[in-house]
Amino acid sequence: MSEIYDIGYRHYDGPRLGRGHTTRALTVHSLRGVFGLGRPARSKLVPFSLAAIMVLPAIVSIAIMALMRREGMSYSGFAVIMQAVLAIFLASQAPTVVAPDLRFRVLPLYLSRPVTITEYVGAKVVAMTVALYALIAVPLTLMFAGELLVDLPGPPRTKEYLGAMLTGLLLAVLLAAFGLAIASLTPRRGLGVASVIALYLLASASVPIMYSTLLSAGDEDAARWAWLINPFWLVDAVQVWVFGTTPNSEGGYPDGPVSFVIVVLLIAAAVAALALRYRKAASR
Amino acid sequence: MHILDTEGLTKRFPTVTALDGLTVTTGPGVTGLVGANGAGKSTLIKILLGLLPPTAGGARVLGLDVTTRGADIRRLVGYMPEHECLPPDVSATELVVHLARMSGLPRTAARERAADVLRHVGLAEERYRPIGGYSTGMKQRVKLAQALVHDPKLILLDEPTNGLDPRGRDEMLTLIRRIGAEFGISVLVTSHLLGELERVCDHVIVIDAGRLLRSSAIGEFTQATRSVTVEVDEGTQALADRLAELGHGVAPHGRMLLVEVTGPDTLDAIRDATADLGLCLIRLERGRQRIEDVFKETAGV
Repeated sequence: MSEIYDIGYRHYDGPRLGRGHTTRALTVHSLRGVFGLGRPARSKLVPFSLAAIMVLPAIVSIAIMALMRREGMSYSGFAVIMQAVLAIFLASQAPTVVAPDLRFRVLPLYLSRPVTITEYVGAKVVAMTVALYALIAVPLTLMFAGELLVDLPGPPRTKEYLGAMLTGLLLAVLLAAFGLAIASLTPRRGLGVASVIALYLLASASVPIMYSTLLSAGDEDAARWAWLINPFWLVDAVQVWVFGTTPNSEGGYPDGPVSFVIVVLLIAAAVAALALRYRKAASR
Repeated sequence: MHILDTEGLTKRFPTVTALDGLTVTTGPGVTGLVGANGAGKSTLIKILLGLLPPTAGGARVLGLDVTTRGADIRRLVGYMPEHECLPPDVSATELVVHLARMSGLPRTAARERAADVLRHVGLAEERYRPIGGYSTGMKQRVKLAQALVHDPKLILLDEPTNGLDPRGRDEMLTLIRRIGAEFGISVLVTSHLLGELERVCDHVIVIDAGRLLRSSAIGEFTQATRSVTVEVDEGTQALADRLAELGHGVAPHGRMLLVEVTGPDTLDAIRDATADLGLCLIRLERGRQRIEDVFKETAGV
């Protein structure tokens, strides 16, 4: 036996930390899971490749600014242009956050501890939000740092950068809540990946079709609404409304706070769906 | 202080009554909770963890009320579920460290405790490998380790011997005995086999259809139905006749005989009878009382 001596059972009389600590630990644990940290190299491949793809435009943009002395990619359009990569990241990684605990029934091990279901779900949503936000915010910040260093003629686009950072956060919350809600419906990871990506494809493929159909019918106002079906353009519409940026869609968006109201309603719906799903899972 | 006490504890689900006016108290040590499948054992454990509100009556664990102090109870209690609950792609160490932190232990303490506890349950080098490749016995040890990692005052073990082979079962029971006796942690362990709990428990509670059948110290149990199983190579009938002649209660049980023990002289009589008849004695074993016997007994009263 490998045991040399048996010093017997020792009791623990150190500190027992409160809810803040456990929730934070769970958030960090889930966030590490999103990027496959502490997992085999295979689990890191997809998230880190996608993160690298997100950074590429930032590098190209810096190169353009430095070599050609003109403005690079716009900050406000970054998320919309990179939407496919973000969607793939959400689809592939959201199920890794929620599916294993449901599939392998790990949940009771959490709930028999001082962790409540609300804290559990909250930690998962925060972790996914932080992961998505990192994918948006890191390239934006790189570009902005590049712009400051290159020192282009004219003032830096600070307002546009900050606006994009804030809208990016809103987008990350929306995507995380929605992606997790869908992924939590099935304990199977593969199915979760497929459902999220299918929903995204549906939302993005239907937009141009609806837009052009309505446009050819001569209804330009209704056509603008079509953009709001896709979450990336929906959040872009919020950005246009709040920060007055140039729309990244053909023909612009409906005016006013309607897009923001839709985003808030969608986030609320996704969180409610998650709460319901987990209340059911907890009672098993 | 009572480790746990329930009073008129009742839990009704839309279609079934899982617990029906259960009043029971237990002290420190190892307590067995015995009942057939569906007797209400798992429901009782969920109520004791404060995860399921009782329909009527009340329960307290370590003096804390389950309906109002659930979170405090879960801080002091460890729980080993009956079903599989381990993710396959993480190692035992990783999982147990993480769950220790979920119980509020700081990072370094969580690591130390996880290493300690995994050693105590008997997981050596394999604890660094993903759980997916573990045997059932090893998985049960991991489940037990996560219930112990935060050094609880009480652990609730739901069918810990389920699915184990006889050797694994023995090892698990020995471990449970050690937890109760050496670690000084009170244990509530459920099983549908009274026989196996006999060895490790100080106290046994038998429930059926959510009602208390019996709650008593283990000594009273074994005294009440003391019998031995006797197996001889040949001449089972001859031995039975001889013992019956001597006035002992004998009942055939397959190829074996069940003999009622009224005192030490019964065992002497069995020994002498086999020797006189020149039989080859294969087995002389103290009868393991099964749950059915308690049911029969209670029905008879």
